[in-house]
Amino acid sequence: MTEQSQPAFDDDVVLLTVPADGGYLGVLRTATAGLAARLHFALDEIEDLRIAVDEACAMLLAVAVRDAELCCRFAVTDDALTVEVTVPTVRGARLPAESSFAWKVLTALTTAASAEATGTSATIRLLTRRTAP
Amino acid sequence: MTTAPTYDRTAEQLAADALIRELAALPAGAPGRERLRERAIEAWVPMANRLARRFSGRGEPSDDLQQTAMVGLIKAVDRYDADRGIDFAAYAIPTIIGEIKRHFRDRTWSVRVPRRLQELRLAINDANNVLTHTLGRAPTVADIAAHLGVTEEEVLEGLEGARAYQATSLATPTGGDTGTMELGDTLGEDDHGFALAELRLDLGPAMATLDERERRILTLRFYGNQTQTQIAEQLGISQMHVSRLISRALGRLRTRMG
Repeated sequence: MTEQSQPAFDDDVVLLTVPADGGYLGVLRTATAGLAARLHFALDEIEDLRIAVDEACAMLLAVAVRDAELCCRFAVTDDALTVEVTVPTVRGARLPAESSFAWKVLTALTTAASAEATGTSATIRLLTRRTAP
Repeated sequence: MTTAPTYDRTAEQLAADALIRELAALPAGAPGRERLRERAIEAWVPMANRLARRFSGRGEPSDDLQQTAMVGLIKAVDRYDADRGIDFAAYAIPTIIGEIKRHFRDRTWSVRVPRRLQELRLAINDANNVLTHTLGRAPTVADIAAHLGVTEEEVLEGLEGARAYQATSLATPTGGDTGTMELGDTLGEDDHGFALAELRLDLGPAMATLDERERRILTLRFYGNQTQTQIAEQLGISQMHVSRLISRALGRLRTRMG
């Protein structure tokens, strides 16, 4: 960070929409990593977050309607990054249960993870707080 | 970043640093400069050799590697500009690694990842290992960028490139061979059977798609709550390698369980 060493913004929001296709996940991962780097996350925390984003998107892609778009909302505070990914789903689609392995992965890789399926869309929210001061 | 990280140095390293500064202060052609240059190079030979050793075991004779590292060291000594405020080691390490990398590329590599990304990936991996020890914590992207003298964007690009590049792993595990270390060595006696049983329960038949090391890593990360850096240290591999192994294992599980 050359412009300021101590970022003092709260809740800056970055929106990013990509086709719901595995080929575009790299864009989301890189955006996630870029924002996490801004917050001075450690490298292994960034890698965890990338893996979590991959896992969350894989869950969502499995239930997405054809030609859907993945909408990502990144909320940046001075010590935490929230990544929220939403996709329109096939009717009545459900996400893996909270007891599933995939869910265990998400919760282990982030500070908090939650999901919501409305019947026509599904959202996964990942919150990661920087551990080092 | 305006300040480079400071390291604890031994007396020899301090002396080697002093020689470089002395040399940089002398104008070209000054009396005694040639002799000083030789001493400065000699003082840094141990570091060049250490770097060369890191690349051993990849089918290149170690004499060739050491010579190549020396070429890199001499380039670094001759090109170093103390006025830029970068530590000599921070400048020389990527220069030497770059030289070794070019050597591998010209002589032995036949990988299809763009060369620039390949080099960046290796440099990041090395910087990550070095900084984890010198800083005593997992480094940030800013730390790595400062260490390598590249932008943060380039580091991020290198990291993403690393994920695309899984076919041939260059980070050969040294202490993490299957069978040499059991889960019980890395987890508490009681946790071990429990965590593994939990993984087996969660994964069902898909567990069979994982090898011993992948099981160990997933268990440590997702049930033992250890960080990638901690796991890397236990298994004697790099943190980026741990990250790749987790990604790959999860990808495989996804196709089996999805």
